[in-house]
Amino acid sequence: MKDRIKRGLATNEMIVVYIILALCILIGIVNPAFASASTVVSLLRSMLVTLIFAAFEMMVIISGGIDVSFPAVASFAMYATAMIMNGAGLNSIVLAFIIAIVIGMLFGFLNSVLVARLGIPPLIATLGVSSVANGATLAFLGSKEINKLPESFGNLSKVFIYEYVGESGITYQLTALILIPVVIYIGLWILLKYTMLGRGIYAVGGDKNAARIAGFRVVFIQSFVYILAGALAGVGGVTYMILMRQAHPQVLMGTEMMVIAAVVMGGTRITGGHGSISGTILGVTLIALIQNNLIMLGVPTYAQTFVVGLLIVVGTSITSLRTKKIQNSVKI
Amino acid sequence: MENIKSRLKSSDKNSMMLFLIAVLIFGVMAVLAPSSFLGIKNIQGMCTQFPEFGLISFGMMLAMISGGIDLSLVGIANFSGIVAAYIMVKMGGSPASILLGCIAAVLVGALCGCFNGFMIGYLQIPPMLVTLCGLQLYTGCGLMITKGPAITGLPEGYSVLGNGTVAGIPLAFIIFILGALLVSFLLRSTVYGQHVRYMGTNSMASRYSGINNLAVTIKTYAVSGVLGSLAGLIMVSRYNSAKTDYGSSYTLLSLLIVVLGGTNPDGGKGSAIGVLLSVVVLQLVSSAFNIMRVDSSLKTFVWGVILILVIVIGQLSRERTCE
Repeated sequence: MKDRIKRGLATNEMIVVYIILALCILIGIVNPAFASASTVVSLLRSMLVTLIFAAFEMMVIISGGIDVSFPAVASFAMYATAMIMNGAGLNSIVLAFIIAIVIGMLFGFLNSVLVARLGIPPLIATLGVSSVANGATLAFLGSKEINKLPESFGNLSKVFIYEYVGESGITYQLTALILIPVVIYIGLWILLKYTMLGRGIYAVGGDKNAARIAGFRVVFIQSFVYILAGALAGVGGVTYMILMRQAHPQVLMGTEMMVIAAVVMGGTRITGGHGSISGTILGVTLIALIQNNLIMLGVPTYAQTFVVGLLIVVGTSITSLRTKKIQNSVKI
Repeated sequence: MENIKSRLKSSDKNSMMLFLIAVLIFGVMAVLAPSSFLGIKNIQGMCTQFPEFGLISFGMMLAMISGGIDLSLVGIANFSGIVAAYIMVKMGGSPASILLGCIAAVLVGALCGCFNGFMIGYLQIPPMLVTLCGLQLYTGCGLMITKGPAITGLPEGYSVLGNGTVAGIPLAFIIFILGALLVSFLLRSTVYGQHVRYMGTNSMASRYSGINNLAVTIKTYAVSGVLGSLAGLIMVSRYNSAKTDYGSSYTLLSLLIVVLGGTNPDGGKGSAIGVLLSVVVLQLVSSAFNIMRVDSSLKTFVWGVILILVIVIGQLSRERTCE
């Protein structure tokens, strides 16, 4: 029993929890305004879209691959959905999500053909798809942001599940959109933990050949992972659009770095086969906490990229070193 | 003679194809727009444009041959360019300061590369992750120096590096050729070149056969970083300013060039001549696009399509030879 608690306190997740706690205390000491409900609300808001991206990125990395095309795919889906909705005069949110999911799945399918069927290294394949999607958005759809969106989008962004009036009279509102990542995470948790397909994703990531010999359909599992990732990228794009009340073709580009870093910091092994939902949520929280609150710590804006980069390097080194230690340790 | 023939036949099918494509594009453009494409201005212009991403591509190629990848090269290029610009501006722009700036930039490149190599070789963190983090880190370092806006007011003399010519040949082009020769020499005629190939093919086997993988990895990424810093120096000189977000499209472009040049993305195989030719091909395509006045974002799209096509064709033909 004692051993179990000891081991439980030294897992990757717990290390991230310690770092988060230490950071919170540090920020709280420097700036007492940190300890308020408004911090939580703004943190959740800034985490929202990253959470969606991190969910499927984790799944892809567990399966032994990587997907760097999602910002471009999400941008394409977001922009194309906005154009279709405006062009046809549609006003249904469900329809918007369906359109975005279909577009995302198409790109996901392209990824899956390249990676699963043809066996091209995932990084290069998805980089190529990223370039295609981004180029297509700018060249064929347009490069200006769309500010006029269907009314229902605006209405949805004004639905709140929690409201809080601060001392100075400013209201902080938690948007109902936070339910989207919640649903995705619960779904993904069930998928990864309790279905054969989910266990197959871990198996393929751990050892492709062993998984094949054990009877998993490797190509099918990999295809499924990339197509689902594409679909969820579409969801992420539309969510972002509703949250920000505009469709911008470039604004998500470059977020892949942060998302991958968050996933890896959450204990997912970049080489595949290991990763957990809770770890990923913690990783995203940590990154969002750092990005949101460096100013409170007195770090000037121009130094933030460096500090975030440094923290990511340290964080990923720690998790990678622990992985190495675990792999080299005696197995009973 | 027989020897040369067989060598041409066996090893460089890919280079031969690239050469033919280059000739083809050149021919088509010469017919379509002879005045603007064949003019000395355009050719000189092309030769000043490609050294930047050409040098980055060579760095990428080395990393890829070693079985890794280097996504931080653009970050290194900008960081070292900023260091050089900062030194030049602070020291008043005398010739000595230009020289010092250049030396500092190359040192910065080598240091960043060594850091990458150390993380990859010693801590065994996957190269992709290290260099992706490195990109963020080095960009951040650059941003710490510039504090946001571009560094301007560089000495007049320095713009010669990116824009000047020697007997009609752009200086940047000469640097590029020297870089290409260096990489080619390293790969063909040194022990290191053999080692890096062995390591890229099978790092476990190379370790057991007595190759110091750590040293080879650090050397590889250091050389790659130096090539990146040279690209940064040219970039600073051409824009006449230094900033952290120059050349952000070069990562993808260099990957495309390297894969197009016949480098195996899994490591172990690659030739400098192939990369050189594919740099030329891509520059020809790019110039042709400019002359035909095609939207530049379409270029991103087309490059992505070319990258996917090339790698798919490569994969399929490899599968066929295996069978």
